[in-house]
Amino acid sequence: MHPDLTDDRLSAARERCRFLLRLAQAGIASAFCVIALSFWSFQVGQHVRFAEMAENNHQRVLNLRALRGAVVDRNGDVLVQNRYSLDICLIREQVADLERTLALVADATGSDPEALRDALADGADVPVYRPVALIKDATQAQVAAVAARAFELPGVVVERNPTRHYPSGTIASHLFGYVGEVTDSQLRAATDERIRVGAVIGQSGVEHSYNRLLMGEDGARRVAVNSIGRELGTLEELPPAEGQPLQLTIDFDMQKAAEDAFAHAGFTGAAVALDPRSGEVLALASLPAYDPNDFARGIDGSTWSMLNNDARKPLQNRALQGRYSPGSTFKLVVAAAALQEGVATPDFQVDCQGGGVFYGRFFRCHSRHGTVAMDEALEKSCNTYFYTLGQRTGIDAIHRWATALGLGRPSGIDLPHEATGTVPSREWKRRQLGERWYPGETISVAIGQGSVAVTPLSLAVMMSTVANGGKRVVPHLLKAARTADGWIAADRPLPSSIDLNPATVETLQRGLWMAVNRAGTAGRARIRGRDVIGKTGTAQVISLEGRAAAEAANGDSRRFRDHGWFVFAAPRDEPQIAGVVLAEHAGHGYLAAPIARHMLETFFAKQADRPLPVLPPRARPAPADAMEADG
Amino acid sequence: MFDRRLYTHLDWSLLAAVFALCLLGLAMIYSTTYEAATGRVGPQLARQLWALAIGVVAMVVCLGIDYRLLSNRVALIYGGVAVLLACTLVIGSEQGGARRWIDLGPVNVQPSEFARMAVALALATFFGTSQRVRARGLDWVVGGLVVAAPFLLIIVQPDLGTAVTLLPVCLAVMVFAGLRLKLLAAIALVGLLLSPVAWMYALEDYQRTRLASFIDPERDPHGAGYQQIQARITVGSGGLSGKGFLQGTQSQYNFLPVAHSDFVFSVLAEEQGFRGVLVVLGLYLFVIMRSLEAARVAKDRTGLFLVVGITAGFAFQVIYNLTMSAGLAPVKGLTLPLMSYGGSSLIATLMGFGLILNVGMRRFAS
Repeated sequence: MHPDLTDDRLSAARERCRFLLRLAQAGIASAFCVIALSFWSFQVGQHVRFAEMAENNHQRVLNLRALRGAVVDRNGDVLVQNRYSLDICLIREQVADLERTLALVADATGSDPEALRDALADGADVPVYRPVALIKDATQAQVAAVAARAFELPGVVVERNPTRHYPSGTIASHLFGYVGEVTDSQLRAATDERIRVGAVIGQSGVEHSYNRLLMGEDGARRVAVNSIGRELGTLEELPPAEGQPLQLTIDFDMQKAAEDAFAHAGFTGAAVALDPRSGEVLALASLPAYDPNDFARGIDGSTWSMLNNDARKPLQNRALQGRYSPGSTFKLVVAAAALQEGVATPDFQVDCQGGGVFYGRFFRCHSRHGTVAMDEALEKSCNTYFYTLGQRTGIDAIHRWATALGLGRPSGIDLPHEATGTVPSREWKRRQLGERWYPGETISVAIGQGSVAVTPLSLAVMMSTVANGGKRVVPHLLKAARTADGWIAADRPLPSSIDLNPATVETLQRGLWMAVNRAGTAGRARIRGRDVIGKTGTAQVISLEGRAAAEAANGDSRRFRDHGWFVFAAPRDEPQIAGVVLAEHAGHGYLAAPIARHMLETFFAKQADRPLPVLPPRARPAPADAMEADG
Repeated sequence: MFDRRLYTHLDWSLLAAVFALCLLGLAMIYSTTYEAATGRVGPQLARQLWALAIGVVAMVVCLGIDYRLLSNRVALIYGGVAVLLACTLVIGSEQGGARRWIDLGPVNVQPSEFARMAVALALATFFGTSQRVRARGLDWVVGGLVVAAPFLLIIVQPDLGTAVTLLPVCLAVMVFAGLRLKLLAAIALVGLLLSPVAWMYALEDYQRTRLASFIDPERDPHGAGYQQIQARITVGSGGLSGKGFLQGTQSQYNFLPVAHSDFVFSVLAEEQGFRGVLVVLGLYLFVIMRSLEAARVAKDRTGLFLVVGITAGFAFQVIYNLTMSAGLAPVKGLTLPLMSYGGSSLIATLMGFGLILNVGMRRFAS
C-alpha cells in the first residue's frame, strides 16, 4: 500500500469532499435564487414597461386616408371629385438586382432610368419592406406595360392613392382652390383634431373655406409586424369616413362661358355673376388660372416656382384679391349718393362743353355732350355731369353710399383671403395720410379715379344692390351639404337693406338701360328682349403722359393699356343676374361687354332650355390699340 | 451486466426530471419554429426528436457499461475524441466562418460537445486512480494538459463558447482532487488583473463589441445590444402567467434571434410567464442537486470526480444560459442543455447523465 493511502488521510479527504459538495449545493441553490429573483423583477416588477415595449415592437398603426367630399354645381354636375392615382413602386427587399430592375422598368414605361434612380434615392428613408414610388401618377399604358412584364419584375407593384381630381382642369381653379399637405405653422394653429402631421387639407378656395366639411375622418389599421417590419396581418381596422359632399351655387356652364369668353377675347382679368335676389354666386372667374391637379399629388418645385414667379400672377384670385380703380362704373355710386342725399333730382341738368373748371382747375370730358340729365349722363358716361354732382354731394356722402352699396368693405363671401377696396373720405385721409382732404380730389373720385379702389367682387355686389332695388346681398358659394340624412340646404347669409328711394333706383336703372340699349358705351352687351342694363368703365393703369414715356422706353404697349370694366344686370324689371367683368389691359370697357354678353346669353339659354351659345370665330387677333377713352 | 440491484438503485426521479426538461424543450422548439402563415413546424423539431432517440440509446449504453470499465479504456475514448476534433479542423464543414461540424450526410456531428464528457472521464480517471490522496505539483500540470489539448482544438475552430465549458469541468475535478480554494482564488485574481490584457490582445473585434454592448446595451440598440434588449423585453412582457403557447409576439415575429437554440428559455418565459420559469428553474435545480447526491454516494474517487466534472459543466452552462436569457449576461453561443435545439448537445448531455446515473447506481457494486 502506498504510504499516502492511510485511513486517516483517506477519511480527511472524504470529509473535504463532503464539505465541497455542500458548498457547491449551497452555491448553486443561491445562484438559482438570484436568477429566480431577476426573472421576478422583469416579469412581475417591470412587466408593464416591457409589455408596452413588446407591443411597440410588433404593432404598427397605418393611416387610412379618408376621401374628401366631392363638389357638385347647382345642377348636380361634378366639379371636384377623387380619383386613384396609380404609382409604380418598388419594394427593395424583394429585388435582387436593383439596377437591372430599374432598367427593365424604364424600358417598359419609356421613362428615364436616371429619373427612376433619383426617385429611388428620394425614398432612401423608407424601410426596405415598404414600397418606394418610382413613377408617380403613372399612365394606364405604363401600368399595363409593367403588369405585362410582372414575371420579370418581382418587387415592382402598383399602388392606388386617393387623389383630388378636378376634371375641368384650370376652369374655376381659384374658386375651388387646391389641397396640399398641412404645413408646420398650420399644424400649430390647427384646432381641428383631424389635422395631423401629413394630413392633406384645403389650402385655398372652397377647399380651404369648407375644409371642415370636405375633409373626412382618416381611418387606421393596426397591423402586426415581424422583426424586419413586414406586415403579417391586421389586428384591428377603423375604416376612414369620407368627407361631406358639397353643392355649390356655381353653374358650371356659366363659369365656363365666362372663361371661354375671356380666352376668346384674349384678355386676363376677372368675372363675377351673382343672383341679385339671393347673393348666390353663379360664376366667379379669374384669369390666368392654374391647374389645381398639379397640387393634388404634391406640387413639384419647378411648377411651384413657375406659378409664383409668373409676372401675371396666376395664383391670385383677381375677383376678390385684385384692387383696381373702378373708373366710370363708380358714377353709379355718385348718382345714387346725390339722389339719396337730395342734392340733385333725376332732372338735374348739366351743360357739358368738353369739361369744366372746378376749384380753379380744368377737368376734361371725353366729348361735348351738351345739356344732359342724369339718365343721359349715365348713358353717355359724361364726366362733366359727374364732376358737378360730386362737387355738390361731397366726399363723405359719396363714401357713405359707396360703402352702403358694398364698396370698400369685405363682401363676406365664403372664400379665404378677400381683399378690401378703398373708398376715401375726409376721415380716411386723415387717418391714413394725416392730411386734410382737398375738395379737388372729390372731382377725380366722382369719375372713379384718384384714391378709390375696388375688387371686382365688391363691384358685382354694388351692381346687384342697384339691380334689386337696395338689398345688399352677401355673395356665397355653398348651396347645400350632404349628410347621412341627405342634402341639407346651407344657411343663406342675410342681406342688408339700404333703403334706396324708388326714384333713385328707377333713375339709375334707366340710365344703365340706355347705356346698353341706346347709343351708349355698352351696346355690345345688348340682347334683344332681355333688357340688359349695364355700365362700362375704364381703369387707368398709368397716366397718359406716363404711358407714352413707358411705351417709348419699354416697347411693350399692352402692359400700360387701361383696364376695361363692365357691370351688368338683367332683366331690368326683375333682375335674375348681376355681375362684373374686368378685362385687364383691354383699353376700354366696351371690350369687356362682349364677355358679359356671352355669360348673359348662356344664362338665358339655360333658363329657356335652349342650346348654349357658341362664340363666333375670332375676327382679329387682338383689339386695336387706339381707343377713345371715356374717362 | 444488469442485475436487479442496479435496477433498484437507479435514480428514477433524476431520470424523470431530465426527460421532463427534454419534453419541455421539444415544446418550445415547436413553438419557436412554428410558422403561423403556413401552419407548419420547422425541420428542427423532427431532428431534435431523432437526436432524443439516439440520445436515449447512448444514455442506456453509458448507463449499462460499468464506469470503471470505461475508466480503464479512457485513453481510447479521450484519444478518439481528440482525433475527431483534429479531423473537424480539416474536413469539417464551414459555416459562418467556423469549422465546428463534421458532415455525415443526413446529420452533422459537433465533436466539441462530446469533448466535455471525454475530458471529465479522463480527469476523473487520472486523479481518481492516483496513488496520492491529494494531488500536487506535476499532477496539476498533467491535468491541465488533458484539458488544454481539446480546449485549444476547439478554440481554433473558432468556438470560444464551447471551449470555455471545459474549464468548469477541469476546475471542479481539480478542486475535489485537492486543489486549494485559496489557490483557486489567487488564479481568479490573476485572471481578473490580466483581463485588460486579454481585452486588448486575445479578443476579436466582434467579441469586444459583444462585451461592450453587454455593459451598455442601449449604446447600440440595433446592433450588438439588440439581442440583449430584445431578451429582456421578451422575458418581461411574459408577465406572471405568460402570453400562452404560440402566442409570444417577440418570438413568433422573430424579434428574438436564434429563439430555438440560445434563447429558448426567454421564449418559455414569454409564453409561460414567471410560473413556467419557476417550474423549469425547479427542475434544473433538482437535476443538479440529484447529480451532486450521486457524487456524494459514489463508491470511489473516480466516480466522484466523474460526476462532479460532468455536473459542473452542466450547471455552468445552465446558469450562464439562464442569465443570458434574462438579458443579464453577454450573448454567447451557449445553449441551454436538454432544452435548446442541438442534436450533438442533447446526445452528449444525455450520455453525461447516463454516466452520472451509472456512478449513482453502482454505489454498492464490487
